[in-house]
Amino acid sequence: MADTILEARDVVYSYSRKGPKVLDGMCIKIDKGVKTAVLGSNGAGKSTLFSVLNALYKPQSGTVLYKGEPLSYRHKGVIKMRSEVSILFQNPNDMMFKPYVEQDVAYGPENMKLPKDEVDKRVEEALFTVGMEEYRKSPIMKLSYGQRKRVTLAGVLAMRPSVLIMDEPTAGLDPQMAYEVMEIAEQLHSSGVTVVMSSHDTDLVYSWADEIRVLGGGRCVYSGPPEDFYGDRAEVQRAGLMPPSVFSINEALSRSGAFPLEPLPRTRAQLSVKISGKGDAYGRMHVILADPETDVPGLIASSGLKGISTGVCGISARMAAESSGFKADFPYNGPENCVSKCMTGQDSVLICDPAMLGVAESSVRFIEANGYGSIETDVVNPGLSDRGLSRRRTGRVIKAVCPIAAFRIASGRPRVGMRKRFRRVLQRRKPERFATSWLKRVYVLS
Amino acid sequence: MGDAMALFELDDVTFSHNPTLPPVMEGFSLSVNEGLRTAILGANGAGKTTFFYTLTGVNKPQKGQVLYKGAPVEYTKEGLRNLRSEVAVVLQNPDEQIFCSLVEEDVAFGPLNLGMSAEDVEVRVAKALSDVRLTGLERRPLQQLSGGQRKRVAIAGALAMDPRVMIMDEPTAGLDPQASMEVMEIAEKLALRGVTVLISTHDVDLAYRWAEVSDVLCKGSVEHSGNAEEFYSDAERVYACGLLAPSVFSINREVSAMHGKDPKPYPRCPCELLAKFGGSKRSGRVRLVPAGPEEAVNAMGSAMKDMKDACSCIYGPDVRRVLGGSADVAFDGMDVCFSRAVEGKDSVLAYDPVYEPFVRGQIDRLKEFGFDVEAV
Repeated sequence: MADTILEARDVVYSYSRKGPKVLDGMCIKIDKGVKTAVLGSNGAGKSTLFSVLNALYKPQSGTVLYKGEPLSYRHKGVIKMRSEVSILFQNPNDMMFKPYVEQDVAYGPENMKLPKDEVDKRVEEALFTVGMEEYRKSPIMKLSYGQRKRVTLAGVLAMRPSVLIMDEPTAGLDPQMAYEVMEIAEQLHSSGVTVVMSSHDTDLVYSWADEIRVLGGGRCVYSGPPEDFYGDRAEVQRAGLMPPSVFSINEALSRSGAFPLEPLPRTRAQLSVKISGKGDAYGRMHVILADPETDVPGLIASSGLKGISTGVCGISARMAAESSGFKADFPYNGPENCVSKCMTGQDSVLICDPAMLGVAESSVRFIEANGYGSIETDVVNPGLSDRGLSRRRTGRVIKAVCPIAAFRIASGRPRVGMRKRFRRVLQRRKPERFATSWLKRVYVLS
Repeated sequence: MGDAMALFELDDVTFSHNPTLPPVMEGFSLSVNEGLRTAILGANGAGKTTFFYTLTGVNKPQKGQVLYKGAPVEYTKEGLRNLRSEVAVVLQNPDEQIFCSLVEEDVAFGPLNLGMSAEDVEVRVAKALSDVRLTGLERRPLQQLSGGQRKRVAIAGALAMDPRVMIMDEPTAGLDPQASMEVMEIAEKLALRGVTVLISTHDVDLAYRWAEVSDVLCKGSVEHSGNAEEFYSDAERVYACGLLAPSVFSINREVSAMHGKDPKPYPRCPCELLAKFGGSKRSGRVRLVPAGPEEAVNAMGSAMKDMKDACSCIYGPDVRRVLGGSADVAFDGMDVCFSRAVEGKDSVLAYDPVYEPFVRGQIDRLKEFGFDVEAV
């Protein structure tokens, strides 16, 4: 059972004394490290709930608890709490008020009274994470809506929150940008941040969330895994929602006798796998780990992988592809597209941010765990150079490099030099945590 | 499509907001044909909204020509009034569009500006508000409405102009899934009435399902105009335009590739996908109940009596108002109903009579996938 990090107990909130109660007996728990989506129709109280959880509004009755302690609404308490629980509003223009990108991103950390160089470091790191490094000195007026959205996200990340609340993070973004924002959310999750988001995009939420909370009538009417909720059509309709298309297509196909209902696919590619069934011969998935300076075309050429379909996954992989002028066949949804390519019997190459290996793993695992055969994977460059590490000395990149390094050393076959390089890292992280079976296989194959 | 009349023709249009800024539209040539459901797709900043403003004469291009019904748009007060009495726009953000204090005032603003008599305006306002399901809120101050309701007020304002062309910029952005379905039903109804509907959207799934013509904009010019599949099949182009392929299209392509089959015919909505990959041999029965709001309850009741264990589905705002609470599927009823038929299960579909050609059209399309719906 996961720890509860944020909790609302019997919260009642209305915007005016005579007005309707927007939250009326709201009880909700957010568990640590669980990807949670908050759903509900327009006016269900999602944004109000977020503001209450972030101590922007003080409820008329009921309590909000952070890490088991009731929130303090005194200035000091609120500042401390907000440095750990950050909120990203739907409209970026609501939360930007400085003229330049850099100033806006620095606003949060400065308010936390951090020393100047720490602030600088965090601004750089945050802008890097959202892929807006080059715009550091740009005036905000000149940015497009999507870019502003990313700058506000950077501003929130610079506070290094342990909980990130995102209100409609993809609204108004085009599909590719929406995908990139979801990728950032996924990457934050894998670096230990608890991410909570609300969205009207049912399909997107379904592919991302571990758990959902459904709001209706000022209360939380459902709390748990999404599959159980969407299975009850009448309940979904009452909550003002629609089942995700992947879910209903799977349901319909299973009812017509094409295949059993389980396993429930969460993504489009998983559904495709299920519809096609077990193939005869699958291709192999080659993984290229990438930090922002990896020479992608060079690596592909030197490992003899030219002419194979390529996919990209993760921020640093995306930056590597961009900076080396590499055009991938699947710049978005890389892991899934690579898996489907393998299922047609052809090989594929996935250029992957090391932090996103888990995502790639889960795409492959769906195939194997459900008896659709197995896709062999190998890592082309398991000892990712630590250039990114020295250049940026950020917690994020260290974590990113760590899994492979940790395993190399744990497996007892480290290269000389590698061991020294990563000893520092190992002191912080226990190797067993990362030596998953999947990585083990990756290592042996390579 | 060759015989369709071009309503708007843009020829090599260049437009920039300010001479010092780079042009937002450059070498932009596109024609919009009358009576076709048209989707305008493109990434943020591709020029979709600027294109719409050019159609309504808000933006006057620095270079090139805009033809409406074969004649160049006149940028005089008179000319623009004539143009805008036939071309209505719903902006993405309703707050930019609604400015009166009461709902009915705002909806009446357009028709009153055209110089119509008070009685005619009243009739139009009542009709427009009932189309968007806001009857009863006529005297409500706009500030008290939710975002979704305001969007519908903006749509009602456009409907009250009784336009020949309806332009909707991101009509479903920020709306919850059920409200989006309602908006798309309104768009569908307008198209069936002969109105040319243009929708810009980031929701590629929705556009793929709805549109007959997909126009893709990229960096201020037209990248593709016409058939959607032709565009989505070229993955590189799709990525370059900042888009992703719709999921139904991708599933079809992936499954076809894994089985080494021809991806044609292309399914566009879930029920067609089901028909293609694993429908049961025998169709379930579908009882079609086209019914006005008065007789809907009785018609539905008797239909349900005949069909045991059938699933009751609804399509259309009028029927939903009457039956929405009691039906099994109140939203997206048509697709669910035909999906069930493909599964071999029975269902009853109640819809507003105006949607008859649309429902029949779906039955015909399912035939292309080798599936005969048993409609009774």
